[in-house]
Amino acid sequence: MRTMIPLRVFGIITNVVLIVSALPSRNYLVIIVQSLVLVLNSYRLHQMLQLVRDVKKSVSSDLSMDWLKPFMTERKYGAGEVLFYKDEKAEDMLYIVSGRFKLVESGMELPVGAIVGELGMLSPLKLRTQTLECVEPGVILSVSYRKVEELYVQNPAFGFYFLRLSSARLFENIAKLEQRLAQQSATAAMSASPTPA
Amino acid sequence: MASVLSSVRYLLADFIGEDDGPPPILPEGLPDAAVPVVTQGIYLLMEYQGSSYAQLYVDRLRRFIGRPGLDQKTLCEIARLMALRMSYQDPIRIAQLKLMEFENAAGVQGIASGDLVGKFRIDELIGALPAAVAELLLDLLQWLGWTHMPVSIRFSTKTRWGVRRLKIEASLRRWRLFSVRYAKERAWVERWLHMISRSLDKQPSAAPALVQTATMIDGYGDTYRQGVADWHAIIDGLAKPTFDGVLPLVDLAGAIAEARAAAVPDPRQVALKRTIAEIRARALAIGAEAAAG
Repeated sequence: MRTMIPLRVFGIITNVVLIVSALPSRNYLVIIVQSLVLVLNSYRLHQMLQLVRDVKKSVSSDLSMDWLKPFMTERKYGAGEVLFYKDEKAEDMLYIVSGRFKLVESGMELPVGAIVGELGMLSPLKLRTQTLECVEPGVILSVSYRKVEELYVQNPAFGFYFLRLSSARLFENIAKLEQRLAQQSATAAMSASPTPA
Repeated sequence: MASVLSSVRYLLADFIGEDDGPPPILPEGLPDAAVPVVTQGIYLLMEYQGSSYAQLYVDRLRRFIGRPGLDQKTLCEIARLMALRMSYQDPIRIAQLKLMEFENAAGVQGIASGDLVGKFRIDELIGALPAAVAELLLDLLQWLGWTHMPVSIRFSTKTRWGVRRLKIEASLRRWRLFSVRYAKERAWVERWLHMISRSLDKQPSAAPALVQTATMIDGYGDTYRQGVADWHAIIDGLAKPTFDGVLPLVDLAGAIAEARAAAVPDPRQVALKRTIAEIRARALAIGAEAAAG
């Protein structure tokens, strides 16, 4: 009973038992209260099971973070607004829904659907490595690291798949960097080779 | 019984918002000259908010320790001014200060703590509440057209009810970090630090002047709003374009000093905007001459 899913199941069973036992005596107060809690427990259990299923699916497919959307809150930004600065302490993960957003230091523009700060949660210093600025008005979904940590602690299966997903995204980044390095080395070698007279 | 209470307190810690951990450790590599200023900053923020807030102060300061081009004097000034800006004056802080004054004066005969009447705007007061509540109220005020309505609040310790009220107001600090105002203050401090950092990279001689721009912002109400607006005008008009390479301003420190001298209490910022425009025109003309010659 240490984790959330068995606790919710136990809660649902308790609710059902109490409702059934209150029916013969027509104790309406208990019936109403327990019915409300039953709905709440069922909804939260469904949400938790869905989350584990979606993270698991994401690990074996496109490594997307779309499963986090139900836990995110919406924020609107205008052109020129800075979402965060380089070296600022990172406290949330962002998902770009619409608009144009640019990483100032690298000049890189982030596409719609991009996730920002998913690895920051696991890094020891939790610092932003670049400044993110809004170029064209848009909408961002954000979730605090605290919320993700909460999901992680409540649900070991989610935690396990979340770690696998984060590691997979990290390895994907390393592969991209290696590819870029190889391309740069090849270009440098080509320019250094003697040209025929 | 004590252990049960302690467990209940721990369980409700998130809701109560208690933050009474130990003070953070001084950052590694901090010069000896900066130790008293940083220690003072830590204790100020512990008293203002709590240990995790003081830890945020230390983390923010850490990025400047050992930074090339930054002397000890400027680092001390960053530490001092950052602590002051992080302990910004909202109605909660004023209540805290008034209570402290009352507690210090208690027992000292003949010292009566006078009343303080704070002049705020209603959006400023509501901004001190948690965002979940404040945003709804601010939307309602905007719909009614009352957002800028002036409100006077008396902070008094003359009666028992006055002291009780101050205690209730001061207790709101537990939710301060969820407030609309905190989000704005956080963005301001980060922008200020970011500008100092960019100055150290692009024009180190201007860094002390940029650090000192924090003194433009002080107090609450109209004074505070004027300071923030003037600060943003100088940063947007002079500092940022210089760092972006759009404005060829060789002496940014001098330009900041000139603009600050033109910053007078005027909501329309006529003199300040004119001075900034003149500085920009001068710099662009010199830049064009240099490019042509």
